[in-house]
Amino acid sequence: MELAKIAFFLIFTYFLLACALLLRPFGKPAVSDMDEYFILNAQREAASNNVVASIVFDYRGLDTLGEATVLFAAVSSIVLLFRGAPK
Amino acid sequence: MILHIIALAAIIATAVLAIEFKDLLISTAMLAAMSLMLSLEFYLLQAPDVAITEAAVGACLSTAIFIIAIKKTARYENGAC
Amino acid sequence: MNGSSVIVKVVSLAIILPALTFGLYIIAHGHLTPGGGFQGGAIIASALAIFLVAFAKQASKTLRKNLLSALECLALLGFIGLSFLGLGKSFFFNFLANSGLIFGQAVPFGPNPGFINTAGVIPLMNFFVGLEVSCALTIIVLTMLKAGGDKK
Repeated sequence: MELAKIAFFLIFTYFLLACALLLRPFGKPAVSDMDEYFILNAQREAASNNVVASIVFDYRGLDTLGEATVLFAAVSSIVLLFRGAPK
Repeated sequence: MILHIIALAAIIATAVLAIEFKDLLISTAMLAAMSLMLSLEFYLLQAPDVAITEAAVGACLSTAIFIIAIKKTARYENGAC
Repeated sequence: MNGSSVIVKVVSLAIILPALTFGLYIIAHGHLTPGGGFQGGAIIASALAIFLVAFAKQASKTLRKNLLSALECLALLGFIGLSFLGLGKSFFFNFLANSGLIFGQAVPFGPNPGFINTAGVIPLMNFFVGLEVSCALTIIVLTMLKAGGDKK
């Protein structure tokens, strides 16, 4: 059993090291069509200097809505969990 | 490059210290230090948004929640107050 | 529940107001500098959490859970309503950008000094999301602080 654990640990470590060696250089993505479109057009279309904000609230606004809903669900579940706790 | 190595080594060191300490209050402080180092690493990787979020949520809010939980329960890992 | 020691109280008093101001700055400049609604809301909630942990007795009188949850629901409704207002084109359409109305100034391409009166609905959404996140995280800390007794 111990041997199996050590073998699994070693195999997984070498898998992670191999993945790290296969990383591409920093700042050079493989497919960059979408990034170039956002960088060139976000200031004209969304009129925002912060391209990240224009993506979060304009182009991909539905994701932000999901995030806000997740936070709301977490808060309501916590309030529900502690509703009967003694003061 | 040097700063990357220092930040990553500090992340690993503080994470190991957070596991090893038996006093949970010191473990919480080590977790906060790990979050701070992680936010420094995010800043070095040119993601300032994620760095701000990590510093606020990881280093302050989760620490406050852990401190509240320690206040309600035991302080040491074997159950003694 | 006993109050905290004098050191904790003095240091947290020195921290809280700058942290609140910094959070408001991050929210208000969300469309110009890194950051935005979520980040600023988390910073404001951190300041309020320090306030709650250091001054537990006074804070539970000042911050009430009903008010905070009402504010959170209103902010979420405002966010959804603002996204529905752009439904003439599509969901989450930025109908205020480049329109000349409030926050409707056009932005020149490339590096510029940054004008606060730009970006359409993004500053309003930043405000709503910041209000929602700060109220939500404060409710979590407040609920956990109030529930249960002290340790035996």
